[in-house]
Formats: sequence, C-alpha cells, structure tokens
Amino acid sequence: MRALVPVLKGLGYGVVGYVLGGPALGAAVRATGVEFPFDLELVTGSLVGTVGWLAGVGVWEVWARGWFGLPLRSWPEEEGVARYFRFTTDHKVIGIQYLVTFLGLLFLGGALAMLMRWELMRPGMQLLTMNGFNQVMSLHGILMIAVAVAVFLGGLGNYCVPLMIGAHDMAFPRVNALSYWLTPPVAILLLASLLVGGWDSGWTAYPPLSEVNAPGQVLMMVAVVLFGLSSILGGINFLVTIARMRAPGLTWSRLPIFVWSVFAASLLSFVVTQYLAASLLMALLDRVAGMSYFHFARGGTPVVYQQLFWFYSHPAVYIMILPAFGAALEVLTHFARTPLYAYRWVVGAFLGIVGLSAIVWAHHNFTSGMPDWMHAPMMATTEAISVPTGLVFLAALGTLVRGRLWLRTPMLFALGWVWNFLIGGITGIFNADVATDLHLHDTYFVVSHFHYTIMGGEIFALLAAVYYWYPKITGRMYDERLGRLHFWWTFLAFNATFLPMFWVGLHGMNRRIADYPAPLGGLNWWISLAAFALGASFLVFLYNFVVSWVRGPRAEANPWQASTLEWQVPSPPPVDNFPAPPVVVGGPYGYGIPGARHAAFGAAGGSEEACGTAS
Amino acid sequence: MRPGALVGWWAVLTAVLLGLFSGFRGFPAAAAREAAVADHAFRFLLLLATPVFSLVVAVLTYSVVARRGKGDPPEPPPYVPEHPWVARAWFAATAALAAYVIYNPGLVGLAEMRGVPVSAVWTGASSGVRLASLAGADGDLVVRVRASRWLWQFEYPDQQVTSRELVLPVGRRVRFEVTSADIVHSFWVPAFRTKIDAVPNLTTFLHVTPTRTGSFEQTVDLRVQCAELCGVGHAIMAAPVRVVEPEAFDAWVAQQGRR
Repeated sequence: MRALVPVLKGLGYGVVGYVLGGPALGAAVRATGVEFPFDLELVTGSLVGTVGWLAGVGVWEVWARGWFGLPLRSWPEEEGVARYFRFTTDHKVIGIQYLVTFLGLLFLGGALAMLMRWELMRPGMQLLTMNGFNQVMSLHGILMIAVAVAVFLGGLGNYCVPLMIGAHDMAFPRVNALSYWLTPPVAILLLASLLVGGWDSGWTAYPPLSEVNAPGQVLMMVAVVLFGLSSILGGINFLVTIARMRAPGLTWSRLPIFVWSVFAASLLSFVVTQYLAASLLMALLDRVAGMSYFHFARGGTPVVYQQLFWFYSHPAVYIMILPAFGAALEVLTHFARTPLYAYRWVVGAFLGIVGLSAIVWAHHNFTSGMPDWMHAPMMATTEAISVPTGLVFLAALGTLVRGRLWLRTPMLFALGWVWNFLIGGITGIFNADVATDLHLHDTYFVVSHFHYTIMGGEIFALLAAVYYWYPKITGRMYDERLGRLHFWWTFLAFNATFLPMFWVGLHGMNRRIADYPAPLGGLNWWISLAAFALGASFLVFLYNFVVSWVRGPRAEANPWQASTLEWQVPSPPPVDNFPAPPVVVGGPYGYGIPGARHAAFGAAGGSEEACGTAS
Repeated sequence: MRPGALVGWWAVLTAVLLGLFSGFRGFPAAAAREAAVADHAFRFLLLLATPVFSLVVAVLTYSVVARRGKGDPPEPPPYVPEHPWVARAWFAATAALAAYVIYNPGLVGLAEMRGVPVSAVWTGASSGVRLASLAGADGDLVVRVRASRWLWQFEYPDQQVTSRELVLPVGRRVRFEVTSADIVHSFWVPAFRTKIDAVPNLTTFLHVTPTRTGSFEQTVDLRVQCAELCGVGHAIMAAPVRVVEPEAFDAWVAQQGRR
C-alpha cells in the first residue's frame, strides 16, 4: 500500500487543484459580477488539477524544490514495485509504466468496441441510446488514438532505445518522466468527461459540432492538448538521445532499424503535434472565450479546422506506424537469422515517409468543399507514399526469402503484420483515389482500412515486439504455446472481423452510426460475432502476460541469440544498463557473416569480450 | 532459394485472383453516370492491385514453407551479398506503378467524374466550391439541398417546389447546391457514389446525372444519407430518393405545386 502513496497524493493534490482552479475560481470571479462560463471552469480546473497531480506524484519532491533553492529529496533506492508508482527517471521503469498504462487503455478501448459491436449486431437500437453510442464511439476512438501514438514510442521505445544504442538512459531523464506522468491526467480527463455529459463528435472533434455539444467536449480538448505536450516532449527526448548518446562506433549506418524508426517517428511527433494543439486550442477558445475561428454563427470557417487538424493527424498515423515498421523488421531479421535486406533503402524510406506524410493531409477532405484544384495534387502525393512503403515490404520479403525462419511467437506476429499491412496499404489506394473515395469516404471501408493499418499493422507489430522483448523486460519467459494460440486466434478473428467491413462500407454503411439500414444486418451480425472472438483472444494475451511475469521460467540474457546490444546485458538489465559503454565495431545484424560482430564490451577492469557474434 | 518455384507460385496466385476479381460485381445499386465512373475505377484498381498483393503473399507463403529453419534457433544461412540492382529495380517498378495509378484511374477517373478533360483537373473548373456568381450555369436542373439537424430539405428553385423527398428525372444533369443551417453534414446517395459536405456559411456543389429509374422502396442505396457525424440523429438522418421518367417528374412537380 505504501507504494501507492505518491499516486494517491497526486490524486489528492489533483482534486484540490481542480476545485481551487475551477469551481472556487469561478465562484470568486462570478461574485465580482463578471461572467465565468462552466466550460471555462472546466478548463482552468483541469489545468490547475494537472499541476497538482504532477506535484503530488513527485515532481515537487525530486525536481521542482530545486527551482526554489530547497534541497531535493530523492526516493529511497529500491528495486521493488514502488518505483513504478512515482516520478522516477530510469528509462526502463518509464517504459514499463507507459507499456502497462497504455495496454490497460487498449483493453478499455477494446471493451468499448465490444459495446459498439453489441449495439450494431442487429438493425435497430438494443443496448445503447443513439447519444450513448456516439459517446462510446468517440471515447473508443480517442483512447485508441492515444494508445497507438504512445504505446510504441513511450513503452518499447523508452525501454529499448537506450539499451540498443548502448546508453545508460535517455538524454533528459526528468523530461522523460514528465512525458509519462502527463498521460494519466489525459486518461482521467477523458473518462471524467462522461460525468459532465460526455462528448459525441468523434476523436476528430470537428466544429461546429464540437463547439455546441455537451461540456464533456471541453475536457476532451484539454486532454488532447496535454497529450500533445507529452508527445512533443517525448519526441525531443528521443531525437537528442539517438543523435547524441550512441555508443562509440555506433554510426548512423549501424543503428538497429527499430532505433531508426523511432528517430523518424520522433521527428514527426516533434514537428507536427503543435498543429493538433493549435486546432483544438482554437476550437476551445471559440467555445470558452467567444472567438470566431470556426464558429459559424460568428462568421468563422469550419472547414479551416479540418485542414489544420489533418496537418497533424495524417502525419500522426505515421508516428503510429513507423515504430511498428521498425519493430516488425527487427523481429523479422532476427528470426530469419539473416541480415536485414536493403537496410539503407529502408532508412531512406522512413525519412521519405516523414517528408511525404506532411504533404498529404487534404486527402481527408476530398468531400469537404475545399477548392477543386487540391484534389489532384493531394491524390498524387498520397499515392506516392506507396513507394517508400513498398521499400519496407522489399526489406521484409528480401529478408524472409533469404533467411532460415524460426517460427516463434514474435515471428508469427511479424508475419501476420506483413499480411495485414498489405491489405491495409492496398485499400489505402482506393481511399486516395478521388473517383472511388467520393463514395468510400466516411464509410466502413475507411473504418476497415485504418483498422487494418493501425490494428493489423501497428498492434500486430506491437505484439510481435512485446513477445520479442518480454524476456528482456521481465526477466521471465512467456508461455510459447499460449503465445501461438494467441497469434492464430487473434489473426483469424481479426481478419474475420475486418474483411467484411470493406463490403458493408462499399454497400452504403457509413461510419459512426448507431443504426443502419436493415439489408446490412446479416453481415453486421457476423462482424459482431467475429469481433467478440477477437476481443476474447486478447484475454489469452493478458493471461500469458501477467502469469508469466509472476511465475514464468527465468529468462537468460539472450534467449533469441540475437545480435543487438540490448541482448548482451542480463535480463532484466541493471539500473545503469552497461557496466561500461560498449564499443560498436560492425553492423547490427551480422548473421551468417563469418567473423562479423556488432560490439565489444570493455567491462570495467575486465578483458574485452566479444558479443553479438550471432553465429 | 528456387526463383523458378517462387515465380511460378506467384503466377498461379495472380491468375486465380485475376479470375476472381475480373468479374467483380459486388457493388451496391448504381443509378448515375458518376456511379459507373466510380465502379469502373474501383474494379480497375482491384485488378492493378492483384499482382502486387499476390507477389507479397507468394513470397510470404513460399518463405514460410521453403525457408523454414530447423533448430532453436536455426543455423544462419551463409550470407550472400545483396545484388544492388534488385532494390533499384523494385524502386523503379513501384514508382512507375504509383505514377501510373496516379494517372489512371487517378487523374482520368477524376476528370471523368467531373466530365472534363484530364488537363482540366488541376484548374478546378467544374464541380466543388464555386463563386456564387457562377452558380446555376451548368446544370439542367438545380436542386438546393439544405441540411439541418437531422433532416434534409430539397428546394427546386426553377420549379418552385420544396420537398422532403428527393425526386429526380432520369437523364438530366443535376446541379446540387448544398448548404447547412447549423453544423457540418454530408450529402451522400450511395447509388450515386458521390458525396459533398453541407457546411454552414458555405454553398458546396455537386453534379450528378441519374441514369436509371428506381426508388428507396426498391433499394436502400437510393437514399440521401448524412455521412458526417452530426450528433444524436446522425445515423437516421436520411431521406428517400426517387429517380423517375421526365414525364413522371413533371407530373410530380405539378402535383407538388397544387398542394
């Protein structure tokens, strides 16, 4: 129980901060005769509450006291579970905090999806009201977006990148901790929005709807802006860490491909997230401060929001998928026991995706009433992204066909990623093509497309990576039979759920609807059953993840006999990662190359020991 | 690795899938010129995608079957240096394919959708947002669509008729002038395969030429469906569509006028 003290303190300070900064401030201002809308009270309250939360979980004790010339307090050194419940700077602790928090939110978002599928199982309304459905759908959307943005970079990126580059921690450990501790308020605000009427505008929150609906929308906007702050801080941290803290000899051309993908995604996250914050702040100011950016009754222009919003939100899908590309290729190459094919082309492809992703945003707006001349160039840039993405496939296929495949659970998920992302990528062309998109836009065809890319692509790669690094992170081995069961069950149920969605979308089922025309009932019944099976398959994962962590057999340092640096230290790694900085002497994947090795350890006072020879 | 076996397997897969997709008819009811354009583009994309899809699936399945290793972990295969022309050729082929898809069905389909030459798709000369002063110049029939939460209203200015049902004569180019009284909605008729948002303070344009008679009673694809999330009633914000012979349209107008 004592372990929870910082979190309880954070919650307490947060509530006090909310009350002082929100209702109390509002009452005080109103007492002077000045108007203070409830929406504004929610904004100030949640901002002050977030500061209180941060102070409570440890920012004050271990960081902020120093700003006022007071002596800093440090947490007692301990290895126990308490370090996961307070503001600490070890990147491995923060990685686990991120991973567990966002896997939890993934399960919550999945449960909401089950509710939606229950409602959509038959035509007509059964379980939810129409307003209730819209709220569940909106919450599912924003939670899953947050998961998709943060789980890879925040979780596995934090845990693995410093280890893979031979560093002892991230460049800015306290900023790293701040990035994480900003995320629980995001989740709390999103859930608390249900207490003040929820919100029904989807994760995209298009005005004018998002300026005239229930006050829950305000909390969602504040939450997303806070989440954006966390993303930007995380992005800076990864960029500096990867640029400045690589081990001696670890040149850019020797970086493991996952590190490259995190670098590319962080570049995007650092550069574009501010557009999201800007668009939501402007909508928020319309709402609480009488501005007229998008508010139609005051002469604003709603379609401007849609442009600004997608400046961020299209690149954002590459913030989600780039680390997945990197992790899937990482797993494919280690489990094919051969060097990654076309390594330099893939690095070029990642950077090409970063560049192109910034000039495709308006393909979300083909039907929005934007000027006609934008259709053709936006279609062209969007379809051009298939070229760098094609290079990622070249690397995957070239590695597979030249390898000797080791079909363990991580590899199965990586192979599943190839299949799923193939379908997701190809159907993207149908959405990019104006002639087909005018019909397909805002239908289940799009819903299926982005679930194939983000769930079938990113989440499958995430599962591959979680199984792959599980022994390193936990020091225990997961159950291989349950892992395989999880793969086949999830893979089949996923495809059974989402393939038919292309059909219902093409046949006139638009997205974000609580009810649909009766002729679409049969397929929706099937989709719902398959979705329940898909949801259930994650219980196998949950069981394996939790039970193996407690009771699984101890893992060796390098159970996969993999070549990269993180496998050359014990599982789990000691607090400082490496006894002395490793010296990198070769490429990351020397499989089958006589005499190739990635790094040598000059252990303090010890003899140099070759590692990562991968024979 | 046996390249012959791999290429053969790819060829077989491609042939089978092309056979399946070339006759693809899995579209909803089509009742407009624009629907034919969209369906043609869809089917063409499906055929273009087939060899790409089957190539990836062929390599994936071939590798799992023929390149499966033995041992925990398998002994790494002897390293063979990459042939630099493979990646270059792959890059060139995918770039050429992407460029072709951008041209056709991309630009070609866009031009057909608007009924203009391909060279005009960059100029914004036909549909979409236009200055109000140009309004009314390029349609045989003008229908003003007014969306509000959560219903559709159709005004026929030349006929002086207002209706909750969208009735259109077959074979005439209809120019929809779409706007919203409150928040953003989207005007979509699945059987026409095209949509345009209804935005407050803005008039958006959409051109459709119905080519087949029919009604909502015959197929739910002939309905105006709101396609942009607009709150509680979004799912049921729909209106029936009826495409009729020109004489029947005139009769309907006359009957509406008498009311």
